Amino acid sequence: MDSKKKNTISRRAFLTGAVSAAVTGGALVTTGCKGKNLLESSEAFALEFQEYFKKHYRLMNEMEREKTVSRLERLSKQKQGITVDIDTTGPLENVLYGYAFNVTRCEGYMECVAACVRENNLDRRSNMQYIRIFEMEHGQMSPDQGDGKYFHMVPREGHFYMGVQCFHCDNPPCVKACPTKATWREPDGIVVVDYDWCIGCRYCMAACPYYGRRFNWNQPEIPKEEITKKQHYLGNRKRVRGMMEKCTFCIQRSRKGKLTACVEACPTGARVFGNLLDPDSEIRFVLENKKVYRLKEDLGTDPKFWYFID
Amino acid sequence: MQAVSCARGNQNTLYQKSHVMGQKRSGMSKPEINKCLYPIFLSCIILGLFIFSFLSTAFSNQEGVTKQYKKAVQKMDRAGQVNAETQVPKNIVRVLDEDQGGHFFTEARKSEIKRFRCSSCHNDKMVSIQGAADLSHADIKVVHGGKEKPLSCNTCHSTEDRDFLTTGKDTRIDPDHVYQMCGQCHFRQKKDWIGGAHGKRIIFWSGERVVMNCTSCHNPHSPRFAERWPKTYSVPLK
Repeated sequence: MDSKKKNTISRRAFLTGAVSAAVTGGALVTTGCKGKNLLESSEAFALEFQEYFKKHYRLMNEMEREKTVSRLERLSKQKQGITVDIDTTGPLENVLYGYAFNVTRCEGYMECVAACVRENNLDRRSNMQYIRIFEMEHGQMSPDQGDGKYFHMVPREGHFYMGVQCFHCDNPPCVKACPTKATWREPDGIVVVDYDWCIGCRYCMAACPYYGRRFNWNQPEIPKEEITKKQHYLGNRKRVRGMMEKCTFCIQRSRKGKLTACVEACPTGARVFGNLLDPDSEIRFVLENKKVYRLKEDLGTDPKFWYFID
Repeated sequence: MQAVSCARGNQNTLYQKSHVMGQKRSGMSKPEINKCLYPIFLSCIILGLFIFSFLSTAFSNQEGVTKQYKKAVQKMDRAGQVNAETQVPKNIVRVLDEDQGGHFFTEARKSEIKRFRCSSCHNDKMVSIQGAADLSHADIKVVHGGKEKPLSCNTCHSTEDRDFLTTGKDTRIDPDHVYQMCGQCHFRQKKDWIGGAHGKRIIFWSGERVVMNCTSCHNPHSPRFAERWPKTYSVPLK
């Protein structure tokens, strides 16, 4: 009996020790793999270590969110010397975001693409872009017939331009495909990704019928002076290699009442953004007075992105 | 005759059969009745479930964006939408027309005109320099109105009061309210602009509605957007 009891205690002690050793070792190895000097800053290491054990964004309470935000802000300060402001503003009451794109007005200047890259801190090395503009001949209907990589004087005679990005479907197939529930539809209609919960399996990319999602093939590289410092946890904060990201209707801007970066940058006014639940909004005027259509409507994804013609 | 008797015979047999069945039923014991009713109960429950599921889908919130926004008809307080970070931009004027939600604002343009006030040069005194228009306004090229009906300076600019514009009906128009000027010919665009399908808002989608004026984007002397190189390019997908 005595020997048995002794045996149990030692086994428990051993297990506890083994688990803690494994956790520390694992963290050490993963941090080491990222190619950083471990002893560079013990505070940065401690913060990064704590970051491994945080919850899914939707399961965190207010305090936990605050903690992880302060950790991320401190990490950014420590590692890159940039003071960023990450917020976790929730959805506004009685708001459902909608978007309309005027195919007659768009002239293909690509100002929106440049503004989006800048606002959302997209990787400059792989030239990642959330928005694609397709140059299409008159009579073409689907962007897969168009030319998505044009570079010449625009607008070209006999052509029109069609922008494609994440359509923020109300019935999003990407959300259903995600095995870790790292992506979901927020109450204001924005489909977001928890970057720390994404495992990079790219199922959502395969599920999306609009090519709305992008994969980080490498650690995003952004010139230090070009980083947008107003950030959102679910939006344009720093991402890592090997996870999905996408257009978030500039969640850091739209939830503060501002227009998205693409709408603000558009020189022709081809882009309309607003609240679908406000009967006086521009988007509602477009939907009620213009000829509108949605891309691949027959799939039942119910996108909140309409195209319209003058 | 034969056929009739045949039918009669059938009737008789049918009557006999039902008679026999009735006899049988009256002879049934209680548990046997329950056994017969089971399938009826079951089918009732399944039917009920079907109806319930139909109703629940019909009255649920998951019914598509179109229905969702069509149900939202309650007016929203525009100014009340403003949260801490949304401020109404400065240098704006109230538009004389009203949109679907009441009054709205547009950018003031007078401060953007480089050599305003025009009357500082165009006053009572005669301009005595030869080719003065070419000297002082050589940068202005009027490409407006097409080849058949090209516009001249005085189509829009008032000859009496140089700081104002003038309509076809000799109404003076302040350059801040230039949309009234453009709307004379481009009435479709003006209608869309008032509603929100033409032009764009400034910075905020919420709060007081402030939109860009016509001349914020279009050069009134050559309103067509110029052909130019795109700002960036996309890498091929494949």
